[in-house]
Order: sequence, then structure tokens, then C-alpha cells
Amino acid sequence: MNKKNNEFKLNILPPIINSFLNDDVDKQILSPLSCLREFGSNWILEFDLPLVNKKDIQVTFNENTISVEAKLREVYSEEKLGTKTKFEYFKKIITLPGKINSKSTTAKFNEGRLTIEIPKLTAGQKIKIK
Amino acid sequence: MSISKNLAEENVLLVGFPSNGLVGTFTISYLVHYLEMKQIGEIDHPDLPPTLFVEDGEILPPIRIYKKNNLFVILSDLPFDPFVAYDFADSILDYCKQNKIKKIIIISGMESMNRNPKSPKIFGLVTHQSLEELLYKNGISKFLAGSIYGTDAAMITAFRKSKTPALILYAECHPFFPDPEASIIAITTLAKVLDVKVNTTDIQKKIEWLRIQHRNLMEETIRSLQLQNQEKSQGRVPQIYR
Repeated sequence: MNKKNNEFKLNILPPIINSFLNDDVDKQILSPLSCLREFGSNWILEFDLPLVNKKDIQVTFNENTISVEAKLREVYSEEKLGTKTKFEYFKKIITLPGKINSKSTTAKFNEGRLTIEIPKLTAGQKIKIK
Repeated sequence: MSISKNLAEENVLLVGFPSNGLVGTFTISYLVHYLEMKQIGEIDHPDLPPTLFVEDGEILPPIRIYKKNNLFVILSDLPFDPFVAYDFADSILDYCKQNKIKKIIIISGMESMNRNPKSPKIFGLVTHQSLEELLYKNGISKFLAGSIYGTDAAMITAFRKSKTPALILYAECHPFFPDPEASIIAITTLAKVLDVKVNTTDIQKKIEWLRIQHRNLMEETIRSLQLQNQEKSQGRVPQIYR
């Protein structure tokens, strides 16, 4: 905690050296946390997008990748080793283990979390059962 | 801060470490901040990666011990693998013996399929029947069924065999993203159990910033939990055949 102004701040590791590992400091882009869960007939892909309004999110996809970009509603800054770094965007591209069913993929945004439901493509050759 | 007569009469230890949603870490850190607890020691382990945190020129170890009056806190900023978790639990029990601690309270997070992010619930699990009363007195629903693995399981296993009873408070949370919102219910419940007044305005104001700030720790915690899962499933029949 910051003893100077008693403002709530957690002294949480990991160490400074790792802290900007996936963020693009030059372009002021943060890499959001995401998780992909596989279910029987679909995937659920979630992104944690705090400080973001729904209207500022852009989701694009091609055959098997999904890209999420979002503008923060306020500048996020961190101070490490005496240097203040500012961030204005989130951006991340995720590759899925299969092809995306573009017609029935849906997304919702709630409490700063983007949830994309991706049904698995089931089209293919039929196997005859003898 | 006002501490009730009950709490002043017996030593209580609170334990927080990174797990689902970082609920334990957020909750205990906030309490240490709010109650202005003083750091009185640290815990080392040769298997932990050598790590230190520096703030305002002060060196902070990753596992710290805090105290105020009869309230003790052990707070870890490092996620553990299961082997270190057993040692950590033993260290806690040694510490309890040395300091005549009568009760341990652990805060953690649990995934719930029907979770309402706006009003997460909290569940309690006790290692000894003597603490059941705490659940009823404070309106905490009992954790009735579910699986516990990894660090939490190692702790509970060790505490069950000891003479010091433990209460484990599980707040519903998002397991893979930092969830300071879920920690608010844990802070409120803990305050009720300890009979102290805690205002959560400071953490409520910072919820979204905390979620960004602690992405790295969340990733490391997930990696550690996944490792625990892999080790747990070794030697078992692959899922497809079960």
C-alpha cells in the first residue's frame, strides 16, 4: 500500500520485469486477459475488458482467428522504475482450434466482460453406419 | 477501528494467497490496508522463485506477516505449486502454535455456473465443528458439495489434522479473471465475522483498475492451478474413457 497518501494500492507481484510482457508500450496497447473454454457443440471465448464501453469494442474474425480491439474510456497508466506508461487501447488476436461458424457466432458484453459464443462447424462428409 | 471484545480475547489468523479470481489476495490486502496493520515478519521457502518487491525504496518479500492487536495476517503474492502448499500450510500451523492462534480464516474464490456478477454469494467451510456456529451467526451459507483441489485442498487437509480450527470462505467469482468485485462480499463477510467495521468504498472505486493491474498475477496463478490439475490427473484414465 502507498504509505504516502494511504491510497489503496496492492503490493502484488510478479516482478517488474514481467509486467509489460504482452503489452505494446509504444502503441499504448494493453493485452487483455482471455480464456477459451470448449463445450460439446461450441466454444466460449471470454475477454476481460475493464474501463471499456460496449460501443468502443470491435470484434472481427476470419476462418479460425478472432480479433478484439477496444478503446479505454479513460487513459490507464502505470509507473514502473520511475517511468509512467500510458495505455489507451486493448487488443488481442486469438486462434481457435477449429473453423468459425460465422453465421451463428454471437457476442455479449456485460460488466466489462466480452463473451463470444462460437458454435462448432459440423458440416462434413456423412459416415454410413453399417 | 473498533475491535470487539470477542476478537480481542483470542488470536485470529487470516490467510490470503492467489487463487480463483485473486479473491483472497484482494480481500486480505484490502483489510491490511484498511486496518492499517503493521508488517512484523515474512515467510521464506527454498522452492519459491527468488522474488522481491520494492516500493519507495523498501524491500518487500512475497509472503508477509502482518499484525494489529490480536489479529494476524499471512499474505502471499505468489501462487504455489501443491508441494510448496503443504509446506506453507505446515509453516502456518507452526506459526499458530508459537503465537497461540485459536482460529484461522482463509479467503478464496470459487467458480459457480449460476453466478450473478452483480451479487456474488459466499459459502463457508469449517475444518472443526466448533466453528459451525460462526456460519449460522453470520448468515453464511454452508459449502455443501463440490471439489476442492490445489493449494486450497493442501491447506484444508493440513488444518483438518491440526488442533487449530479453520474457516474457509469461498466467494463466487470468475475463476480466470481478477475479480475484485467478488472480494467485496468476502471483505463484508469477514468484517462481520471479525466484528470490525470496514468501509469498502476505496476498493469499489478501483475495481476496473485492479482488474487491469493484476493481469500478470492472474496469468501466473492460472498457470500454477493448471499445473496442479495436470499433476492431479496423472495416472488417471483419460477423460474420454470415463
